[in-house]
Amino acid sequence: MEEKPKITARDVNVFYGDNQALFGVGIDIPANNVTALIGPSGCGKSTFLRCINRMNDVIEGCSVRGNIHIDDANIYDAHLDVVELRARVGMVFQKPNPFPKSIYDNVAYGPRIHGQATSKADLDNIVEKSLRRAGLWEEVKDRLAAIGSGLSGGQQQRLCIARAIAVSPDVILMDEPCSALDPIATAIIEDLIEELRNKYTIVMVTHSMQQAARVSQKTAYFHLGKLVEFGNTSDIFTRPQFEQTEAYISGKIG
Amino acid sequence: MNNSLEQEDEMKFAATERYRAHLRKRHAAERRFKFYGRLAVATALLILATLLTSITYSSLPAFTHHNVLVDLEFTAEASAASGVYSAEELNDMNWSGLANKSLAKHFPDVESRRDRRAVASLLSMGAGDNIVEYVQSKSIRQGDVVELKLPVSDDFDLLVKGLIDRNLPESDRIVSDQKLAWIETLESEGRVSSQFAYALFQNGDSREPEMAGIKGAFVGTLWTMFITLLFSLPIGVMAAIYLQEIAPKNRLTDIVEVNINNLAAVPSIVFGLLGLAVFINFFHLPRSAPLVGGLVLALMTLPTIIIATRAALASVPPSIREAALGVGASRFQVIFHHVLPLALPGILTGTIIGLAQAAGETAPLLMIGMMAFIVDTPMDVTDKATVLPAQIYMWANNPERAFVARTSAGIVILLSFLITMNAAAIYLRKRYERRW
Repeated sequence: MEEKPKITARDVNVFYGDNQALFGVGIDIPANNVTALIGPSGCGKSTFLRCINRMNDVIEGCSVRGNIHIDDANIYDAHLDVVELRARVGMVFQKPNPFPKSIYDNVAYGPRIHGQATSKADLDNIVEKSLRRAGLWEEVKDRLAAIGSGLSGGQQQRLCIARAIAVSPDVILMDEPCSALDPIATAIIEDLIEELRNKYTIVMVTHSMQQAARVSQKTAYFHLGKLVEFGNTSDIFTRPQFEQTEAYISGKIG
Repeated sequence: MNNSLEQEDEMKFAATERYRAHLRKRHAAERRFKFYGRLAVATALLILATLLTSITYSSLPAFTHHNVLVDLEFTAEASAASGVYSAEELNDMNWSGLANKSLAKHFPDVESRRDRRAVASLLSMGAGDNIVEYVQSKSIRQGDVVELKLPVSDDFDLLVKGLIDRNLPESDRIVSDQKLAWIETLESEGRVSSQFAYALFQNGDSREPEMAGIKGAFVGTLWTMFITLLFSLPIGVMAAIYLQEIAPKNRLTDIVEVNINNLAAVPSIVFGLLGLAVFINFFHLPRSAPLVGGLVLALMTLPTIIIATRAALASVPPSIREAALGVGASRFQVIFHHVLPLALPGILTGTIIGLAQAAGETAPLLMIGMMAFIVDTPMDVTDKATVLPAQIYMWANNPERAFVARTSAGIVILLSFLITMNAAAIYLRKRYERRW
């Protein structure tokens, strides 16, 4: 841990009403790495992911205590603008959720509302670049006006990735991005994640241990709202420090 | 017994007779259920068809009216001094008298004053207007004889249409033997002809059935709906957006929500009382005006629009909101860029259904004076006006036989109006429905 971490969480507690979902989570997520959050259902990994771009804010009765810093800026600071935060921290969801608009408008929506592009040509440029980075450009360049939800599941998910990177974030959060996809589409997305890690810090929740092992450099194991173990993926999968972790990754519990 | 059970055990259960019997029963139950469902649908359709057919059938006589060809003799007192009629002459001359006198000449047996009055009752009170319309642009010299079709009275018309039985004894018949003889003479001379009843669509209300038209009430309904839409749509949609998307869920918003649902169940006459107390007595808005009627109906339509809009907003999948929030859209942008456009078909459908409901409403308008005999077509929202359902009710109350068909015709026109609105709702829904 010589490098300065990109995201630092300290003593994060999350409550849904009277229910506590996360207990004192502290973690240092390094830049330009893929960090996988694993653990059984209901362990709080998605909740933690959604703390990083404050998506929990919109959930009725949800409150977050603790500190999360991205590059020294406290994202739970009262003066922080959530809209600005979400422009810096993009998100890709479990189920592909393109807007019911054209492929072009899907990607251009973020840059448009943030006023990133100064001209039409500029916007075209951003759309093309984002679609290229998401590895979708060659497949859709001739039908940018077609509706986004007409694409296949894997293409839709890559469109959602293009939409997220169009606003040029630092961090991309992925909430089980491949759970609704077939193995071939999953492989394409995994290759894409590997490429994207050069430019972005990626935090992803996954239910697939193999996926975590394949694409991530760091792995965090959550259990019952607590962060049990965090370290290099290779260490976690070969020499887990805790019995719980070992039981989960070896398939004894889960 | 024991043996047979063991045997069943040996066989696959699905192959046993017991199982097959049970399966047959299950299928029979399903067929019965299907049959009952079809029976229910058929009954509903039959009732609807009966209703529509009977109303349409009894309205048919109102859509035509009979004319009689009269040889008008322009005597000295009915001719223009200058050859062309001045506005004053058109206004002052006794055109009905001319019509009646000319018609009387067709019957040699007309002698007494009473006979002449009887002849006069064969023609519509509006016959004079037809002559004015004809002579306006013509130059007519004294002594000219012009053949002109003039509308007959309602009784004459009903008799020719066969709605008054000619074979009844005179004492039971509205049309006397003398008039019947005259009408039969005119018929035998081929002077009686049928025509589309333009008056039904071109006129306002009248005491004379053959002159009464739906136009005033129709325009009144349009003005009223315009005001209703103007007030209920923006207020309803904004309230729904606030309640559904922005308001925190707490006791206060729960109370508001429950009361909006309660409001939808308030009897419509109560809204009329409210309108009378607030809009007329307190704000001194004009009585019988579409402005007040529209406001009252807007109050009545609000809960419908709010409930429909909230349902439409709630049906937009949360994944779309998350996607928009995820790229940094503000709450306002999420609503106006994504949620509202997707909810629009549902909102429009709810609004049109609410308006259609309001268009058929009479009770609240009763209280604010829109159930009134108004001849003129309203020119703006503060003119005195009535609406279609009120017009139908008033026609139904009139004693003249010819109003029976007029009433049915009014219903047919109101129903067509409502069906058009509902068809528009369905079209909008199909046209803008999006899949995600």
